[in-house]
Amino acid sequence: MNPARRLVRFIEPMIGIATVLAAWEIASRVSANATLVPPPGVVWDALLAMQGSELPHDIIASLVHLAIGYTTGAALGLLLAIVAGSLPWFAAVIDPFAEFLRPISPIAWIPLAILLFGVGGAVPIFLIFYAALFPIFVGTLDGIRRVDPNLVNAARALGASRTTLALRVVLPAAMPSLFAGARLSLGVAWMALVAGEIVGGDAGIGWRILWYQEFFQMDRVLAAILIVGVLGFSADTLLRMLQRRVLRWQPSITEDAG
Amino acid sequence: MNAQRLGRGARVALPLAVALALCVVWEVAVRVTKSHGLVPAPSGIVAAGWTLIASGIIVDAMSGSLERVLIGFAIGGALGIPVGLAIGSVPALDRMFRPVLDGLRSIAPIAWIPMAILWLGVRGDAALFVVAYGAAFPFIVNASLAARWVDRRLIAAARALGANRWMILRAVLLPGAMPMIFTGARIALAFAWASIVAAELAIGIKIAGQGRSVAGIGQLMVETLYVKRDVDALVFYMLVIGIVSFVIDIGLRRVQRRVLPWSAG
Repeated sequence: MNPARRLVRFIEPMIGIATVLAAWEIASRVSANATLVPPPGVVWDALLAMQGSELPHDIIASLVHLAIGYTTGAALGLLLAIVAGSLPWFAAVIDPFAEFLRPISPIAWIPLAILLFGVGGAVPIFLIFYAALFPIFVGTLDGIRRVDPNLVNAARALGASRTTLALRVVLPAAMPSLFAGARLSLGVAWMALVAGEIVGGDAGIGWRILWYQEFFQMDRVLAAILIVGVLGFSADTLLRMLQRRVLRWQPSITEDAG
Repeated sequence: MNAQRLGRGARVALPLAVALALCVVWEVAVRVTKSHGLVPAPSGIVAAGWTLIASGIIVDAMSGSLERVLIGFAIGGALGIPVGLAIGSVPALDRMFRPVLDGLRSIAPIAWIPMAILWLGVRGDAALFVVAYGAAFPFIVNASLAARWVDRRLIAAARALGANRWMILRAVLLPGAMPMIFTGARIALAFAWASIVAAELAIGIKIAGQGRSVAGIGQLMVETLYVKRDVDALVFYMLVIGIVSFVIDIGLRRVQRRVLPWSAG
């Protein structure tokens, strides 16, 4: 790529960002009301003012919720899928339960989670756990079932033990569909986290949005909303990088659909 | 892996038996510990469901929520499909606007709720904003993929056969893009349904105990949680929400197969 072309490639995304910022600025001028539509500059100042005080604390709280809930949910989903993949009777029992619970979105669990755990960090953690569990279970099990039987037989013929077979053949082959499930679920998981913090949390970026609303500091509300976007974007990017790294051996990692 | 497959009978009977056994154990455990009211019980859930259906409460709330979902979904599609087709067919537009759209997509729609309430009020339009925002992005993503993936050879063939721009759009581009857009619609509607519940919960928390009329299933759940404290009804609402998601998914797959028989998914 020649330098001029590279410059154009660099400028192009800026045009999109500039368009949105301009539209935002115009909207705030037209409404002429810094509460209704806080201007970009004011929100930027709010962001700078927040970074020294509550913001790091809130971001860490949300990330802790996400990390605990997602890893426990993913680990359990993975474990159940591996067991179900090797024990047909277990699969027959758990499959209908997964199919039954899967359509019930984590959001629908919020009131019951509040009732069971009380308002606090356990609510968002539980929601993320639940949001990660089923897509990863279903995705992994689906992947396991589609493993090329020739691979399994070849490994057996070469004397692979059950554990080796599961960890070195079946699981890697199930990885693409596991990641597909994980990435599709991340959108709902992220919304469940924010909603859980808004409705039933006592810390985190979602909770803070509501806190600022109570004081009618709409510039800070908007700044916190932008932080939600940045965090969600980072989580997706991280998962995509992990996917690319784990699935290096796959010829083409398809672009995201959804 | 499936060397010892289960028979068809066992595959139906086994989970049913386990589910039934679990319900019985659950019911007995609740009765023995006398904790009904704090935790839900199967018999209570059935009773609560019966009362809610008979009184029409759930029907009113559901029709309110579903109406907003459909309107929000339609707005999301009306905004998302043209944007998606535009960035999918013009690479320069894609490079300009995809980063900013990805950023906006990453904002969980529910996070907008304070601004939405400020702009549109708590009466239902705020929830509508959240739903439309959430529904727009699956449409954008899938419409852009659809536009990019339409087979160029088909277009070339149509052009070689003398088709003009309008005919290519109508006979090649649209049918080719439809299946992918429809898949986007399915994702969007499922996401819209999750979003409406989240939005109504958040709005319900804001107005709980103020004696305002209940507008949707989310507000009803908040009222049930904080005012009536009825665990059984909460579980029943969850089941209803799950059933609606299930019907949306299965129903739209059926429609897709019927209306767009040439699509694989």
